[in-house]
Amino acid sequence: MDSTHSNTFQESNHKKRRKIGDLTTDQNSLNLMPWRSESDQNTYSKKLIEALRRINSPEATTTTTKPRVAGQVRETADRVLASTAKGRTRWSRAILGKWKKLRRHHMKVKKAKAGSGLNRAGIEKERLRRLPAVQKKTRVLGRLVPGCRKVPLPNLLEEATDYISALEMQVRAMTALADLLAGGTSAGIAGQVLS
Amino acid sequence: MSSRRSRSRQTSSSRNITDDQIHDLVSKLQQLLPEIRNRSSDKVSASRTLQETCNYIRNLHREVDDLSERLSELLATTDTAQAAIIRNLLMQ
Repeated sequence: MDSTHSNTFQESNHKKRRKIGDLTTDQNSLNLMPWRSESDQNTYSKKLIEALRRINSPEATTTTTKPRVAGQVRETADRVLASTAKGRTRWSRAILGKWKKLRRHHMKVKKAKAGSGLNRAGIEKERLRRLPAVQKKTRVLGRLVPGCRKVPLPNLLEEATDYISALEMQVRAMTALADLLAGGTSAGIAGQVLS
Repeated sequence: MSSRRSRSRQTSSSRNITDDQIHDLVSKLQQLLPEIRNRSSDKVSASRTLQETCNYIRNLHREVDDLSERLSELLATTDTAQAAIIRNLLMQ
């Protein structure tokens, strides 16, 4: 009886310790949801602000029109997002590659059509992939996720999962930033700094 | 979890991807989609999941575009002093 009591007691302690560990250093949870941690969002916000300040230099704002600046903001946000990904994913590498090409050539890179990309000879048992509805949507999805047009389905799903989490984080960070810029007068922000 | 990842990489190179693995990935994707997460995920087909995924990504893109526009307007009006204060705030 004593042993079982002590076991359950230890187990509950173990669970408590594990929960605290989850919040800070649990590698598994960070791997599963890499874009959910606060540190990732802070990293992104900091990089974004620095990059945006560079756009906002006095020479630039007088000559560029509003929609162009918005486009620059979007590109910057995407680029910073991709760099925060640290090259782990295909879509992030594609965004970074696209940005470098745009800088050099100022041309959009036309990608070849992905119709012949799917190698059907190797796929025999995957009935799911053969459904025409699924294939059509797979193609659409491949166009939406950057750099993933020719990617086979399971990799595409992985990329899409990561991409969605990253986009959600991007929205959270940019919303917070916009609220901060809009709602805070200098007195308000100073008040927050002092509190 | 890491073993699952390495296994999927190995299998993708040898092209022996099973339906189960695809179903696994699809269900992981389903967990992220707000539409499907709130209802029962058992009845959702893969086709529906893909459709919702495309819609969701398009929505997120649109949100980012709107936020970009909002930020570009705000950046034009805010001055460098405020930007420095914000930077300090974020560095804490």
